[in-house]
Amino acid sequence: MSKGVLYDATKCIGCRGCQTACKQWNQMPSTETKNTGSIENPPQLSSTNLTKIRFTETEQNGKFQWVFTKLQCMHCQHPACVTACPVSALQKQEAGAVTYDDSRCFGCRYCMVACPFGIPCFQWDTPTPWIRKCTFCFDRQSGGLKPACVTTCPTGALKFGERDDLIAEAHSRIAAAPDKYVNHLYGENEVGGTSWMYLSSVPFETFGFKTLQEEPVTENVERAMGYVLPVLGGMAVLMTGIWWITKRRDENKAKAENKDEGKAVTK
Amino acid sequence: MTNHWIDFRNADVILIMGSNAAENHPISFKWITEAMERGGTLIHVDPRFSRTSAKADIYAPIRSGTDIAFIGGMINYVINDMEQNPNNYNMEYVKQYTNAALIVNSGYKFTDGLFGEIDSKGKYTAAAKATWKYADTAKPATDLTLKDPNCVFQLLKKHYSRYNADTVSNVTGTPKDKFLEVCQIFASTGKKGKAGTILYAMGITQHTYGTQNIRAFTILQLLLGNIGIAGGGINALRGTSNVQGSTDFALLANYLPGYLAVPNINDTNLDAYLTRARPTAVYPQGLVADNSVNWLGNYKKYLVSLLKSWYGDAATADNDFAFNYLPKVDPAVNYTHIGIIEALAKGTIKGMWVWGQNPASGGPDSNAARTAFANLEWLVSTDIWLNETAEFWKRPGVDSTTIGTEVFVLPMAASIEKEGSIANSGRWAQWRYKAVDPPGEAMPDLEAMNLVMEKLKELYKSDSSPQAKMVNEVVWNYGDSISSDLMAKEINGYDLTTGKLVAGFSNLKDDGTTSSGNWLYCNSYGYDSAGKELNKLARRDNVDAHPNKIGLYANWAWCWPMNRRIIYNRAAVDLNGNPWDSEHPVVTFNPANNTWIGDVIDGSGNAINLAAAGAKNLPFIMVAEGVGRLMGGNTMADGPFPEAYEPWESPLDKNPISGTQIDPSSVIGTFMNTRGTAAEFPIVGTTYRCTEHWQTGIMTRNLPWLVEMMPEMYVEMSEELAADKGITGGDKVTISSARGEISAIAIVTKRFKPLTVAGKTVHEIGIPWHWGYSGMSKGDSGNILTPQVGDANTSIPEYKAFLCNIRRA
Amino acid sequence: MMEKKRQLPIGLGILSLLVITGLIPAIIRYISGFGAMSNLSDGRGLGMWISFDLYCGVALAAGGFTLAAIVYIFRIEKFHSVIRPAILTAFLGYLLVILALLVDLGQPWFIWHIFVTPNIHSPLFEVGICVVTYTIVLALEFSPVLWEALKWNVPLKIIRSIQIPLVIAGICLSTLHQSSLGSMLLIDPVTVNQLWYTPIIPILFYCSAIAVGPAMVMFEATLTGNALGHRQSHEVLEGLGKIIPWVLGIYLVLKLGDLILRRDIGLIFTGYPMNILWWVEMIIGVVLPIILFSNKSFRKSDGRLFLGALCVVVGLMLNRFNISIIGMQMRAGYTYFPRWSEIALSVGLFSWGILVIWLANKLLPMSEHPVQHVEAPPEPTE
Repeated sequence: MSKGVLYDATKCIGCRGCQTACKQWNQMPSTETKNTGSIENPPQLSSTNLTKIRFTETEQNGKFQWVFTKLQCMHCQHPACVTACPVSALQKQEAGAVTYDDSRCFGCRYCMVACPFGIPCFQWDTPTPWIRKCTFCFDRQSGGLKPACVTTCPTGALKFGERDDLIAEAHSRIAAAPDKYVNHLYGENEVGGTSWMYLSSVPFETFGFKTLQEEPVTENVERAMGYVLPVLGGMAVLMTGIWWITKRRDENKAKAENKDEGKAVTK
Repeated sequence: MTNHWIDFRNADVILIMGSNAAENHPISFKWITEAMERGGTLIHVDPRFSRTSAKADIYAPIRSGTDIAFIGGMINYVINDMEQNPNNYNMEYVKQYTNAALIVNSGYKFTDGLFGEIDSKGKYTAAAKATWKYADTAKPATDLTLKDPNCVFQLLKKHYSRYNADTVSNVTGTPKDKFLEVCQIFASTGKKGKAGTILYAMGITQHTYGTQNIRAFTILQLLLGNIGIAGGGINALRGTSNVQGSTDFALLANYLPGYLAVPNINDTNLDAYLTRARPTAVYPQGLVADNSVNWLGNYKKYLVSLLKSWYGDAATADNDFAFNYLPKVDPAVNYTHIGIIEALAKGTIKGMWVWGQNPASGGPDSNAARTAFANLEWLVSTDIWLNETAEFWKRPGVDSTTIGTEVFVLPMAASIEKEGSIANSGRWAQWRYKAVDPPGEAMPDLEAMNLVMEKLKELYKSDSSPQAKMVNEVVWNYGDSISSDLMAKEINGYDLTTGKLVAGFSNLKDDGTTSSGNWLYCNSYGYDSAGKELNKLARRDNVDAHPNKIGLYANWAWCWPMNRRIIYNRAAVDLNGNPWDSEHPVVTFNPANNTWIGDVIDGSGNAINLAAAGAKNLPFIMVAEGVGRLMGGNTMADGPFPEAYEPWESPLDKNPISGTQIDPSSVIGTFMNTRGTAAEFPIVGTTYRCTEHWQTGIMTRNLPWLVEMMPEMYVEMSEELAADKGITGGDKVTISSARGEISAIAIVTKRFKPLTVAGKTVHEIGIPWHWGYSGMSKGDSGNILTPQVGDANTSIPEYKAFLCNIRRA
Repeated sequence: MMEKKRQLPIGLGILSLLVITGLIPAIIRYISGFGAMSNLSDGRGLGMWISFDLYCGVALAAGGFTLAAIVYIFRIEKFHSVIRPAILTAFLGYLLVILALLVDLGQPWFIWHIFVTPNIHSPLFEVGICVVTYTIVLALEFSPVLWEALKWNVPLKIIRSIQIPLVIAGICLSTLHQSSLGSMLLIDPVTVNQLWYTPIIPILFYCSAIAVGPAMVMFEATLTGNALGHRQSHEVLEGLGKIIPWVLGIYLVLKLGDLILRRDIGLIFTGYPMNILWWVEMIIGVVLPIILFSNKSFRKSDGRLFLGALCVVVGLMLNRFNISIIGMQMRAGYTYFPRWSEIALSVGLFSWGILVIWLANKLLPMSEHPVQHVEAPPEPTE
């Protein structure tokens, strides 16, 4: 039921059709960029640039490689941003997409801090800013279409389908050509698994993909939040109890003092 | 292309050379990726490690302009291997389908880089060219043992014996082991059942010997039996989406539609023209096949039908079918881009109409072009946007008050704003529909042409001079009913006696009873099973009906000729009509009913062994002698065999391979076009395109999303060269050649590496030519640097190899 | 007295200037957006305002609930004199947080969405609800000062009747959100430095808040006392100082124990360069105050007590900054250092807070003891 995308970097030709298709489908404005010594542009994902191709030149085992990597929201299975958002503006859909509802958001930007991949971007140039990130073309999916980037990709580097099927396919690709791939499907288990998964011919750190824990990053938070009600109740009881004890102590002390005073006066 | 895009997936080895398919033809990689998934190997030979190289199994660097050395080396390798291990090759194909066995004129001589005597202009004399023929020009003898020293095979072997691996590495800079690896893997496709395809683009064509570069591919592929089979062929990745259409319809100085020769001033009548242009069949003796079909023997039918479609009833047998109405060229004049600039500079051209082109940035030596335009009295620019040509008179650094040219700009509709067809590299003409109305006053080209022609007719109406007949008697009375659909029908042609569309070019006649705007496109418009008119270019059946699913998709659109998807497919079968490759058959002969199953068979007739004597048809029906030419004929300007020369501007003062420095018949422009020396400009420059921008950039530099991705003019160079010059990535740099200077942002990359050539280090830099002073994103034009020197046969400029220098700005 | 009063106008003038300067970035933010007045970026979405105004601001306002617990729940008499300044400081602290958020939030006019579409799993939701509620509680807790000044007896009586429930509510709410501010960071094991990231961050935050509450009261009371002449008694200051080392002691055990159990104790030596900040934070904010405040002779001097409290405050601020901003790994390709406008905004808000404290001390009965609701002693029978 949960959809995913398998990105096979060995098939990607870096044509950036996906980058443009996303712009076109989401009708994003363009920004002014400079050539800083690379064909890669814009330099980062942003509120107007929901996906991009990163270009990495690397030498692996004596062979020079020019590696292309598509960056976009990973649509995690246990999204940190969904747990983080205080107003439920970010939601994990059953179909896999992590969607953002700007009618709920009030711009706290906690999701930006929470995301292990640093994906949510903010509209820094307007006084009424929203968060923007890849939507997994949820609107297109709801209409029976594939995401715009997947539809545009000429080589099939992007494959859309059931997440479980894609995992099986990825592993069979690795098994069929073990010299071609690093033996790892990135996103299968990272931070509890992501909808967008990656195959690569070079180690993932080469193009900036960190080694991440398998536990969802939401685990500690959810445990801590689970304690809220018990702590609230416990604290209320404790404080009430202590107050009652100290009040009685003070009252008893006062009574004793008054008795003494009374005695003293009557003496 | 001999084959087509989808067919690439059938290849065992794909050699991409002089092309950056991933960046400039990204959809090609859909099929290349599939080929690789099926176990295919991708080889990329290119001066630059591009996005194509990133996907290749093997990347071999090469110095720009040394392709003939490289391919010649591959030919040498194959020939030697063929003699050692003939079972690894399809010797039957080589002997029976190519001119390997044919005996050549004993006067043929190759000395130190020259194929005979050249005149003062660098052209081979008629006497020299006469030796580039078979000993018997009507019925050439053959030696099927391929041992006769005068047979083509032995001459071929001798010619390329100089191209050993060490020499190749010395000239090209390709590491020797890398070169041999490429040879070994590509040669493996010579086996029966194996297929190797070659994809090439401007990196091969844009040289002073570009045509010979392609001839070299031809030789290699014929030796390997790769022509006519699935997954094989010589496949040009054409530089724009409809340049195939534009050449099919002769937007060229030397052709009429359908690649018919343009008449020249010596063709005083139709017969004289046909004597010159129409080839005579040549019948090789001693091969199993005994008939040379010589399809171009039908020349007269095609020309007459063309004239009937243009001049209608005014074209009759009495007036040579209006043949003399056609403009005739002077064979001594160069009418191509370089020639036009020269004529403009001399002031012999009064006015120029530039239709969907931008020569101010798109041609070589931009400063020369821009300067020459000032001599025009008037210039019309019909285009989607204002381009550098339309704005040449107010370009930076020029005082517009000194230029007297009157410039008219007519806005035109873009491709999705009009209906019509586009012919892709695979010869597939695909019909497209209008999606939106063009903005403002922009109109489709067809409408504009209609208005122009109607006006011309009106102006010439009362003129009775002979020249006026050219306009007055053209059949042109469409009025408002002109449409691409109507044109498509006229192009297909009619049987004028019945008014019905002709079924194919076999039905065209030379007696004036048929018309056809382009014989190649006969059969593109016909009738469906119900008798209703059917525009085959508009068909969209995406089911591959071919039994072995080799990707023919015969009912998707239509391709020329006759919807034959793989041409020369008669060479894909043995003499009995059985496919060499049983897993990927293109055609198979069915002797039960004497038909061919699969693709549209090339020419008619049974399989060779199953045909009657005199009807055993040779497979290469477009060649006069019916066999593929390892040795070219005397139609090539610069020799029957490709020979390695240096580019006009070379880092080497001496050609290591022979005593002849440059292609002797190169076209060399005389206006401006200063030549640089290696001492002053030691770096090899090459121009190219990227995915994100298009041609001179007029379309794409006005689109914000694309400009965001590629915002500025840039140049790519190696880390070593950058270190030498104190350049860091992102710096502004100046690149200079003998013809001018430009600014760009430096991209310093590991993807360029210096090469060791003839014992010295040679640097190469890569220069996109997408920018200009017009449009939203402005920058300097790469073509300011390039030289006005052209291919000996086609005049295509040598954009790909010249000399330059670089420094921090 | 006269001389002291003359000092204030200049200080007030500077403070007022800082407040106005702080308004400028706020105005720019509402005209042009965040990019025009901050160095925040997609690589650093939350910056100085959150680390200082929210994290430090809320922690430093812990004096409110800790003193309320000490005075009203544990009923330790001698701290009565300092309860009103403590509540005021806390109340202002929370007001400053809210004012800062009015600028820092992208669309603060939608903050009511936390009541309409809440996400109970989100620590920030919990912080939001608690901060709003607790600010109201603090306002109510402080209001008697106002009613007394205005001599409005009806509201006074009402508030006094719900005094204890208010205090208990305040303590509970503070417990929740002081710890949840720490829980917010639990979601970030990837970027929060391993020296600080632990599943018990909320407990550590709570514990350090309890320690800094009294310290902040000591700090503020001393300063206001010097500036306005309402000195707190040495007894009060020393009493507060005596509590601190116990709380910090527990904190130290928790901190070190956690690092040992996580097997990350080695990082305090190898985790360069952040380990340096860790040592500074621990020494200034924890170890030094424990040692100093435990020492009886140290506690004799008001000045030294002030310095000790200052160490705790500085240590707390360092801790909050280290964990939420300095020690937090930047996203690749980005840098962050607050722009002058970000600092100006925080300084402006802080200056406004000081101005309000000064005003309150001038105009309101801050130093009076709250009337106790105890039974009157029986009239002597003779």
